[in-house]
Amino acid sequence: MSELDDLKTRLKIAKAKLQKKNENGKKKGVFLGNAFKIGTEFVAAIAVGTIIGFILDNWFDTKPILIIIFFIFGAAAGIMNIFRAAKKMQNLED
Amino acid sequence: MATNPMHQFQVYKIGPEIEISGVNLSFTNASLFMLISAALVTLLLLLGTREKKLVPSKIQLISEMLYNFIAKMISDTAGKKAKPFFPFIFSLFIFILFCNMVGMLPYSFTVTSHIIVTLTFAIFIFIGVTILGFVIHGFKYLKIFVPSGVPIVLLPIITIIEIISYLSRPISLSVRLFANMMAGHTMLKVFGGFVISLGIVGGWLPLSFSVALTGLEILVAFLQAYVFAILTCIYLNDALNLHH
Repeated sequence: MSELDDLKTRLKIAKAKLQKKNENGKKKGVFLGNAFKIGTEFVAAIAVGTIIGFILDNWFDTKPILIIIFFIFGAAAGIMNIFRAAKKMQNLED
Repeated sequence: MATNPMHQFQVYKIGPEIEISGVNLSFTNASLFMLISAALVTLLLLLGTREKKLVPSKIQLISEMLYNFIAKMISDTAGKKAKPFFPFIFSLFIFILFCNMVGMLPYSFTVTSHIIVTLTFAIFIFIGVTILGFVIHGFKYLKIFVPSGVPIVLLPIITIIEIISYLSRPISLSVRLFANMMAGHTMLKVFGGFVISLGIVGGWLPLSFSVALTGLEILVAFLQAYVFAILTCIYLNDALNLHH
């Protein structure tokens, strides 16, 4: 029976060690993933804003007013995207 | 032109040309590598679940770990309500992961380095999530464009910005995966070209870079699949649990 107990304690120690290691590794992975994530958020929003502006301009024949306005809206949306992503990162950290 | 770093991304057809009502449906190398990835996934999971032992074999361990990893990710980011979408997100993650990893093998083709592939994934997810939101919440789903606590003067502007932000989701999702894969593979090829052109005297430096970059690329291949899946979970969460 003592052998089994011995195994139990050893298992416990090994598991605790593994968990600690896993946690560290996971955190690093999450941060790297976030870093990759944020860059494109900004660009994508600007692209979408500009495309919407371009289409609306073609519809209403108001070149180039709407494309300028929607470019600015796109940039604002991009900043908002980044802001949200950063907020989510902070929540994960806690 | 084997030294051209962009040559590896060329799509060419294998076998006869198939055209159905003006749409070219020939079997290409992209389709071949998608099939290979899907076959590998199926093989791994079938072998892993063939004998369910209490003390798992290595291959069973891998498939169980994959299951746990995705299940935990979904419950962490999208909550309990997202449980029914587990098969979808699991297949998405594992298919992208295997496409990326198969692309890391020499002489292979990286399916995810083509924007049409990633954009198809992303638009499919985007439309699906939007429909899901409308099905669950009805017209209340439009509330995600109108954040609470905004002064009435700013409301039209904020709404436009929110809509642009919402529409930018599939683009950022697809461009991220595509750009990372394409940039990484191009860089590997460029450094590989340097090794050849600098010869035995100066080729060691780019060779060591190449080795390091390969390691980095394997990390990126995993991370991008992970990011794609986790963002799908986040979008799903927005559709399932309205809170703004």
